Amino acid sequence: MIEILQWSTLTACALVAIARIPSALRGKNRTLFYIFALMTLAILLSIEAPYLAIDQALGGVNVANLILRLVIFAAIFFMGIRITRGFGAPDAFRLIAGRIGMAVLAVTSVVVVVLFVMMDTGGSSVGLVAVAGQDDQDRDLVQYYGAAGRAYPAYVSLVLLPAMVRAVGSTLPTMVRIAAILLGVGSVAVALTLIFPFYPPNWGAARFVINYTAVLCYVFGLALIAFARVWSGRSGPRPKTSTAK
Amino acid sequence: MPIPAKAFQRWLHGIAPNTSTSDVCRESGIKRTTLAQQLVRGKVAESTVVSISRAYNVNPVAALAAFDAYLQLADTRPPTRSELVSQISTPDLLRAVLARSAADPGGAPAAAAPALDPPPHATSVKNWVEAIDDGELRHRVSAGTGIAPQNYSAQLTANRLAPELAVATSLAAGVGPASGLVATGLVTEAEAGWPAGARQAALDSLSDGELTTLAGDRLQTLGRALRRQEHDQEKTEKIWENLG
Repeated sequence: MIEILQWSTLTACALVAIARIPSALRGKNRTLFYIFALMTLAILLSIEAPYLAIDQALGGVNVANLILRLVIFAAIFFMGIRITRGFGAPDAFRLIAGRIGMAVLAVTSVVVVVLFVMMDTGGSSVGLVAVAGQDDQDRDLVQYYGAAGRAYPAYVSLVLLPAMVRAVGSTLPTMVRIAAILLGVGSVAVALTLIFPFYPPNWGAARFVINYTAVLCYVFGLALIAFARVWSGRSGPRPKTSTAK
Repeated sequence: MPIPAKAFQRWLHGIAPNTSTSDVCRESGIKRTTLAQQLVRGKVAESTVVSISRAYNVNPVAALAAFDAYLQLADTRPPTRSELVSQISTPDLLRAVLARSAADPGGAPAAAAPALDPPPHATSVKNWVEAIDDGELRHRVSAGTGIAPQNYSAQLTANRLAPELAVATSLAAGVGPASGLVATGLVTEAEAGWPAGARQAALDSLSDGELTTLAGDRLQTLGRALRRQEHDQEKTEKIWENLG
């Protein structure tokens, strides 16, 4: 079940990335292509078989996991910038790309890298499960490492959330508001990852569902906005009847 | 609430006996599939009754009054002056302002004004409700019919009002029950029993001050709506630009 969810998410994200290639080649919103490409890579690295294959190629010391964390940081950073600019949220934009935002990004990145270096990471293992099983110290380090890796995405998501709520309640086109709902749900899901350590141990499936809900909501939300643009271009500007004449 | 199919069939038999459904559809210009669907669902739209009434030379308001849900329509009270004025389109009001200011004071009246646009116009539903609202009207309608206030407002903003709500609004305001159906465009002024030229007469009876204030209010509302629309358009463009 979880495998199906993983591979279908990967397929969906890859398809959206491919669909963005033509506009990226034309130089239109190239960042969006990078966001989807980074997300595709991140999903690929979170599935067991490709993770093991890639990590083996990189020396089998779980460097792929570190790459995964940093790829997620990059994707969420660019996404935050694009979304706050698009939805006209200058405060949120400053909290992501301004001094505070860059500081949060730098601190979490450094913490992730340092913790990674401190661990004995030999032996490829998805989610560093095997590493955590080695001894008490490594188990704690893996916990902190995971928490730091979730902290930055959760920070950006929480910054985005108010702008999404505003957009949903606005009088913007319906498709844009639906997209804002999706992005908002994705943000809530990412924020929920922050409290993973407090979930009961047998809630492993819940973590997967939350992670993939977040990814799918973000991918479909962003794709829907692009689709809405094409759609509105095709049907032409329609005057509102209430203000006709 | 739309009309029950059974009552509709009985009524149809009364005004067009021995006529097949397809003949009725051809006469009244209703799509056969539409009518068939409404009959299958057991609920016939008020507009269907109106179209068929017109085709068979029956007054649509009287026809609707034959159904239980619309018994009140049998009361044919004349519209109030503010209702009549509310059903004059904004361009017509502005033309009246210009015509009056151009007219030579004390001199011969200007040439007869061109006929007023018939209702409904772009904001006729909201204007009508505002014309009969004593401040508590919306509250009474939502309490009486169970419609949520925000849904009621949304209909007014979209220049729509379900026929049963239009009648309920009239009753709650104590005005002629068919006026709302005129404002929504379901029936014409004449069908609702409004005297010919009543709107023009109401317009002529407005003092210069009343007319100018009214036209100003209308312009202000229109300006606000346009600005909001432009603002939304700008925001949408920005979203396209960054995320499209």
